[in-house]
Amino acid sequence: MTDVADRIVRTYLRDIERATRDLPRSRRRELLAEMEAHIAEARAELPTGSEAEIRTMLERLGDPREIAAAERGRRDPDADRAVLEGMALALLLVGGVVVPVLGWLVGVVLLWISSRWTVGDKLLGTLVLPGGLLPLVALGVLAVNVSQPAGLLIVSVLAAAPIASVTYLGVRLRRARERHADLRADVGIA
Amino acid sequence: MRRMVVEDGNAPSVSQLRRGVLGYCVLALLQGGPRYGFDIVRSLSEAGMVTSEGTIYPLLARLRREGAVASEWQESPSGPPRRYYRLTAAGVASLRTFADEWASFSRGVDRLLEEGARP
Repeated sequence: MTDVADRIVRTYLRDIERATRDLPRSRRRELLAEMEAHIAEARAELPTGSEAEIRTMLERLGDPREIAAAERGRRDPDADRAVLEGMALALLLVGGVVVPVLGWLVGVVLLWISSRWTVGDKLLGTLVLPGGLLPLVALGVLAVNVSQPAGLLIVSVLAAAPIASVTYLGVRLRRARERHADLRADVGIA
Repeated sequence: MRRMVVEDGNAPSVSQLRRGVLGYCVLALLQGGPRYGFDIVRSLSEAGMVTSEGTIYPLLARLRREGAVASEWQESPSGPPRRYYRLTAAGVASLRTFADEWASFSRGVDRLLEEGARP
């Protein structure tokens, strides 16, 4: 066990420490302990413990950032995004009813900050219909007479349009996710 | 068009497969009794199942969190303490289910590969 070898190992462990800084302290300590134990066992089995062997061993162990990412479960970074996208759709439809206007506006914001939809999609989602199902509900609350054909037509549109538009966004979302997954597979990620 | 790089099992679909079944491979390794981290990593490595050995430790942590394995540190005569892992009842059940699914899945793939190769 040479000084150089020790130094390389110490540097590696420090890199692990740095890469896992954002993890909960207990898990971080645990992981470091496991890494140290692994390195100690691996070193004991090295034929000469030379610098080259140490480096090879650490290379097999892997990039500290990759290990930290695996710990964070970031192999699926889309999971968080998926939650926001789902929320966008839900809020666009019924957000305006649950928290009048504001709920829908939050949905619109989430819609526009997402990268899954084209600008065309986003415009459609915003303009059809503003407020989502709120106008329909508002109509009900205001007890507007809907017995005439015109009234029935308006009610139908106020119900169908937001549902259709959100459904359309949902379909586009799924296609975008599938394309994205294919892309990542092609490049060998995930 | 998909770009499939087929060399040394580095085809994108294979690495995805590997990642998907790695957890079950760990469970399978524990069937014979408790084993410690480094030992598990080495077996997986020899089986050609890992590119980055260090990522096995987060995997083991996940299996612990999911209740498929339990662990305990034990003093070792020849060095630092070792963390031994063993299957839980839930892990055994999970492995059994996977084994069945894997059998039919791999049979299906094999069949298709054979059929496709026929003139």
